[in-house]
Amino acid sequence: PGAVGNALPSQVVDHYENPRNVGSLDRNAKNVGTGLVGAPACGDVMKLQVEVDENGRIVDARFKTFGCGSAIASSSLATEWVKGKTVDEALKIKNTDIAKELCLPPVKLHCSMLAEDAIKAALADYKLKQDPNKEEAEKKA
Amino acid sequence: SGPGGDGDGALRPLYMDVQATTPLDPRVLDSMLPYLLAHYGNPHSRTHAYGWESEAAVERARRQVADLIGADSKEIIFTSGATESNNMAIKGVARFYKSRKKHVITTQTEHKCVLDSCRSLESEGFRVTYLPVKKNGLIDLKELEAAFQPDTSLVSVMTVNNEIGVKQPVHDIGEICRTRKVFFHTDAAQAIGKIPVDVNDMKIDLMSISGHKIYGPKGVGAIYVRRRPRVRLEPLQSGGGQERGLRSGTVPTPLAVGLGAACAVAQQEMEYDHKRISQLAERLVTKIMSEVPDVVMNGDREHRYPGCINLSFAYVEGESLLMALKDVALSSGSACTSASLEPSYVLRAIGTDEDLAHSSIRFGIGRFTTEEEVDYTVQKCIQHVRRLREM
Repeated sequence: PGAVGNALPSQVVDHYENPRNVGSLDRNAKNVGTGLVGAPACGDVMKLQVEVDENGRIVDARFKTFGCGSAIASSSLATEWVKGKTVDEALKIKNTDIAKELCLPPVKLHCSMLAEDAIKAALADYKLKQDPNKEEAEKKA
Repeated sequence: SGPGGDGDGALRPLYMDVQATTPLDPRVLDSMLPYLLAHYGNPHSRTHAYGWESEAAVERARRQVADLIGADSKEIIFTSGATESNNMAIKGVARFYKSRKKHVITTQTEHKCVLDSCRSLESEGFRVTYLPVKKNGLIDLKELEAAFQPDTSLVSVMTVNNEIGVKQPVHDIGEICRTRKVFFHTDAAQAIGKIPVDVNDMKIDLMSISGHKIYGPKGVGAIYVRRRPRVRLEPLQSGGGQERGLRSGTVPTPLAVGLGAACAVAQQEMEYDHKRISQLAERLVTKIMSEVPDVVMNGDREHRYPGCINLSFAYVEGESLLMALKDVALSSGSACTSASLEPSYVLRAIGTDEDLAHSSIRFGIGRFTTEEEVDYTVQKCIQHVRRLREM
């Protein structure tokens, strides 16, 4: 069924009806990065986790989201896209690509922004875990 | 089933959003048809039968509206809807008495048209007190009494809230206002025809009525303006002086007839509807709350109209639940369903935590809601709340 007026794009509904990568990874594992973005007060919270192998390639990703259909779809799509990419490649994922893929209307663009933030937060967390001394060194510099 | 196209036999969603609007009762449509077909006269045409029969129909309708609320025909003015009636009541009364009275009292949970009319008055130099409500959605009568000032001209408090269904203590408010000789206006759009409302019993001086909330047509409403003691108001709409000079413009006969019929039908059906709707509401709430943990009912459990149920499902965002319940037409207090990112101001006013405000769904049960529809909605709701909590 196509979109009728203000009905959600079918791509968005699909991510809810056929969810991919819902769940959690072990946040204590050294090669898992966890990003938690958003706020319940805004009606949008996303947790995105990535598992990175020794070659810097993302081999698994999971998400959990408190938010509207577009938020769920954006974070779900994000986990699909990061899989198989290197950390640096994943950092290049832009919210505009997510929004375009899901046909998000203008009022829902912030959901795709939050998903991009979630990816970056997860990867930043991963990087920090790999080299905690680096941050110490940077702080002293 | 899925979203319906026209004429292709596809099923349409179940309608559980009666606070937003209601379908026309078939008896109302029947009453309107002659005036949409052969009897198309202007009720203000004095010189021929088309006008006379149209006028007679309008006057019959006026009596029907008046009967429902215990008023006199002469006190009913037809408008384009409750928004216009609210504008007339608030701006009209305030402006008429502005030389001596510059203060208006209302509540934080009123409909937007009331709040916006008050805001507009503030920009004209009036002062407005927006009374807070308690956690249960009701106003504190002591706070109301304390809010009066020597130059208060009007108190406006809605009878039944459209988002959470709470019933304000209209009897007591009327008493307080009458003692202080301040006019009492109530937006009764969600109340009339559903619960007994009597303007004399409740000492109401002005009342707003909406056609499309009571199985009548859209685009018509009425305002009750008390004549004894007389309430004066400055008209918003100027013109040929129709409706006692308070609301110029040709009265739309078919719509007025429809509103009258809706009121007459409602008066007949009120007791039966109320009983049936109460049972269905109890069924819905009990089933959901017994199967799903962490569900909060917004608004007082007792002082409410049963057909408007607002529930917050913790850890589940409202719009995602609406998307999941795609076969049921519902609405939510979540920000995602409004243009801004702010959740419902009514939920905020009753002190709902912000994340629970984003998790609220409003279920509307009406005259034509069936038990099967309620059961289906409950079943799907339970199923999808569980699913979304996993995500």
